[in-house]
Amino acid sequence: MSGRGKARAGAGSARAERAPARRRDRRIGKAAVPYLLGLPSWVYLLLFFLVPLASMLALSAAVGDPIVGYSYGGHFAEFLDAIGQYHRQLLRSFYYGALATLVTLAIAYPAAYWIAFHGGRHKSTYLFLIMLPFFVSFVIRTVAWQFILADQGFLFGQLKSWGLISDRFYILSTQWAVIGGLVYNGLAYYVLPLYVAIEKIDRRVVRAAGDLYADPASTFLRVILPLSAPGVFAGFLLVFVTDVGDFVNAQILGGPGTYMVGNVIQDSFFVNQDYPMAAALSSILMFLLMVAIFLYARAFGRERIQEYAA
Amino acid sequence: MSKRSNSGRTIDPALLRGLTEARVSRRGLLQAGALGLGMAALGPLAARTARAAERDWEAWWKQQKPTDELVFANWPYYIDVADKGAKNPSLDDFTKASGIKVKYLEVIQGNAPFYAKIAPVLKAGQSIGYDLMVMTNTWQLTELVMQDWLVPLWKEKLPNFKKYASPSVVSPDYDKGNRYTLAWQSGFTGIAYNPKLTKREITSIDDLWDPAFAGHVGMMSDITELGSVALLKLGIDPAKSTKADWEKAAKVLKEQKDKGLVRQYYDQSYITALEHGDTWISQAWSGDVFQANAKGFKDLKFVAPKEGVMLWHDNMMIPVGAKNPLSALAWMNFYYTPKTAALIEDYVNYVCPVPDAKDVILKDLQDPDVANSVLVFPTEAMYAKAHDFYTFKSYAEYQSWNSVFTPIIQG
Amino acid sequence: MAAQLDMPPDMPPAADPMARGARPDRAGSREHLDVRLDGVTKAYGHLVAVDDISLTIERGEFFSLLGPSGCGKSTTLSMIGGFAEPTYGAIYLNGVDVSRQPPYRRDVNTVFQSYALFPHLDVYENVAFGLKRKHVDRKAIERRVRDMLALVDLTGFHDRRPAQLSGGQQQRVALARALVNRPKLLLLDEPLGALDLKLRKQMQLELKRIQSEVGITFLYVTHDQEEAMVMSDRLAVMAGGRIEQVGPPDVVYDSPATEFVAGFLGASNLMAGEVVERGGALARVRLDDGLVVQVARGRLGDRGPRVKVGVRPEKIQVLPAGQPVPEGRNSLEAVVAMTAYIGVSHQYTMEGPDGRSFSAYAQNLGTGPHPARGDRVRLCWHPEHTFVVEPSAPRAAEESSA
Repeated sequence: MSGRGKARAGAGSARAERAPARRRDRRIGKAAVPYLLGLPSWVYLLLFFLVPLASMLALSAAVGDPIVGYSYGGHFAEFLDAIGQYHRQLLRSFYYGALATLVTLAIAYPAAYWIAFHGGRHKSTYLFLIMLPFFVSFVIRTVAWQFILADQGFLFGQLKSWGLISDRFYILSTQWAVIGGLVYNGLAYYVLPLYVAIEKIDRRVVRAAGDLYADPASTFLRVILPLSAPGVFAGFLLVFVTDVGDFVNAQILGGPGTYMVGNVIQDSFFVNQDYPMAAALSSILMFLLMVAIFLYARAFGRERIQEYAA
Repeated sequence: MSKRSNSGRTIDPALLRGLTEARVSRRGLLQAGALGLGMAALGPLAARTARAAERDWEAWWKQQKPTDELVFANWPYYIDVADKGAKNPSLDDFTKASGIKVKYLEVIQGNAPFYAKIAPVLKAGQSIGYDLMVMTNTWQLTELVMQDWLVPLWKEKLPNFKKYASPSVVSPDYDKGNRYTLAWQSGFTGIAYNPKLTKREITSIDDLWDPAFAGHVGMMSDITELGSVALLKLGIDPAKSTKADWEKAAKVLKEQKDKGLVRQYYDQSYITALEHGDTWISQAWSGDVFQANAKGFKDLKFVAPKEGVMLWHDNMMIPVGAKNPLSALAWMNFYYTPKTAALIEDYVNYVCPVPDAKDVILKDLQDPDVANSVLVFPTEAMYAKAHDFYTFKSYAEYQSWNSVFTPIIQG
Repeated sequence: MAAQLDMPPDMPPAADPMARGARPDRAGSREHLDVRLDGVTKAYGHLVAVDDISLTIERGEFFSLLGPSGCGKSTTLSMIGGFAEPTYGAIYLNGVDVSRQPPYRRDVNTVFQSYALFPHLDVYENVAFGLKRKHVDRKAIERRVRDMLALVDLTGFHDRRPAQLSGGQQQRVALARALVNRPKLLLLDEPLGALDLKLRKQMQLELKRIQSEVGITFLYVTHDQEEAMVMSDRLAVMAGGRIEQVGPPDVVYDSPATEFVAGFLGASNLMAGEVVERGGALARVRLDDGLVVQVARGRLGDRGPRVKVGVRPEKIQVLPAGQPVPEGRNSLEAVVAMTAYIGVSHQYTMEGPDGRSFSAYAQNLGTGPHPARGDRVRLCWHPEHTFVVEPSAPRAAEESSA
């Protein structure tokens, strides 16, 4: 009996000696596979993200003018100039972006909730209806609001003729029109991730909350809202980032004092041909957005969100 | 009038221009990335080739061989059409007379975006594929000249210009001796208003500063126009203004904005805002108001204020690398005949550079509305009120103007 | 006796639930009633899921609703929990009509089949959820949650998320989450269905232990007859949206009221025949093959003349052919068709004189030889062990019980 035990121990140790070497070989081969599979993505990232990013940063510090041309000159003070000159437009962009995103959330959530919980057989129809305006060009559907909100248009014109609002009242060319446009244009991008998240919530868990004395309000606050957090989070990023960088809404619906950083970048590029300024502002915008996203992810707990999603 | 409604223009051109402008701007931003990339890589090289060597252009012209093709880049709604846009009678006449086929492309939606599109190509020493293009006398035109990206015109082949051109387009400040350009159309920048909303007649630029219209005054986001109207208000001729004048002008513009008078600084969409009643009074281009009236917005009025109007010119020019330069010259010469100019003018309705076209429109085309309009065929008195834009001598000057006026619109 | 409407009126004295001392006093006064269903019906369009159910469950009772899937037992539970509203009828909790109350107003908690734990909350927060909604004092919550988690043997798991627990652990969290609220009634919807057999058996005993410790009324829904029998004080067998029979497990088992119950709860040998003599203590039924079987008079009631008589396989004694039959037993001859040895017993399938199949179990006492396949045997059983049901298709059987 003991002999057999020893023999087995011997065989075991021999196996133990061979195994690590073989395992190591295999591990290298196997470990490389995901990276090899990811190669096209890495090349894509390099070509279409890192190279443009580097050239944008380089251009930010370029010197020259459009006549003689711009060349790299290490003029990093451009970043400070950009902030000095345009901090108001930068702050305004973040303010509009945040406000518009919150309003979008406030509108998108009930819509997504209703479709997910009460849409019944027609869920996809309702989603399609939400998406419908987005088949029209971004600019055209924004311009449509110029018609709808026109001072003497069918909406305000009518209200004015009834004497319900002052003759001088207007919405167009104010920050509210810009924020409204941002909300309108961001709606579908918020509804979709929210819908996906809410749709995923186990109805039995919602039932359980009711069973455990949670009235509809606390069922929503304690169960549905936290469980839809991944959608709230994803939609916020999607909408906030596009809103902050937007310039079309300010251009079409805005007025004096509603310039956003996107408009400044556009002016710097096309009108002033000040490419370094345009690049510096773009870089600053990107940097600030990344900081904002980072802080946001920290505050709302990335891990927890991933856990809910799992 | 009836002719215009038959012309198949169902979309409001101002609106469309507004849209296309914005759309191109977005595309332009994408290009900004590509351009930035190119510049970072080619920066020093670009700087080196920026100044092309002086050439003996007379000799160059003599070497050119006639061709039977012409590629013509222009703005939308800027030429006569027939058969619902399928035909351009003026171009067809040209083909009949010269045997040159014209490829007419409506690819220019704004001076700045178009310049941004062609500049990298020209900088790389390549042909942009156009033989003739139309651009306004703004900074981008100056830039094209400074970069040596335009072919000087061969005057020998342009006898009609000498014979028929209005004095207002001969040897302008921005292109002395018409070295590079001939005017395609001109236009006035004055004031448009809706008397039903202003409830009074408008005669002066000061009316754009009237607190009674607070929140309903339209100003232009084009800072050349914006700065110029303020200079006129102060009694300063923009073409002869100094930086100190600009700062004074900026001050009154800032006051105007801070008092809440300005509704918005508009691009081409200012005309839509007027049509909607969002603005009661606005800076405006003569041709747009003419077209808005024709479209049914009969309340709108264009007025040349007593302080003066701005006169701008859209100009034909030949970019370097053009494959058919002789064809381009032939068209320019052909355009400067009363008959061709009349065909086009009767459709376009800006300011005609060929005064003799008036008789043709009146007698042959039977359109007295257009022929008798002082906005299309201005009187001496009208021209006396007209001012030219300041011509920037360098990028530094242009930037200096921008640094004074952009803060107004960027607020 | 109002509560006993569903019971067969001819309950044998030995099986009378009143005689069972383990259950609380049930004098019938209102404040002792816990749950009462009065003519409850639930219809979805034309489909009637629950059909006119009346039922009373006593305080502290472990009561099971037993039936095949689709029999309406879960719908009944849902209506008691407040997740569905009865189409007709009323549900009383402690004498109060709660039919139209939302779930969060009912002093009832549920352990769901899927557990339905809150995935975003840890074990502690899951269990504390109900108490927090009831605004129980913070310290009391802490104490009660801790005690409850100890009761279900999950001390030390407070910080885990449901996804980090095994099925059995999740099940116990679900139980704790419901029980911690000390509801008047706990509803359990096939709570052990997702567990493997061994764990299920263990949890059955665990549930029974916990119930007797907390003394809360349990209403348990299951399709597993063994589970229902093991755990319940009383059970109701449901089929087709109706209650077939209500009673303590032994009564329902020994005296099934309908052919459906006889077949669903355990195995039965059923034989059709005709009552030929009602007599005194014993009645006689002539089976269709001519054999006459004796039946306790009380078990016949006023059924007949066409009836089905039945006997449970374990009540049948298997004797070698030719051996004398004890006095007063029913008996018949048969041939062993199949035998199966399952440890605790031998199970036989016999073929009767008319080719009818019979099953019989013999406890494995470790004595004597066992009949083998092909052997001729004599089967006999006591008339007291013979039960009688109306001969019917399942549908008709329900009608007889209503």
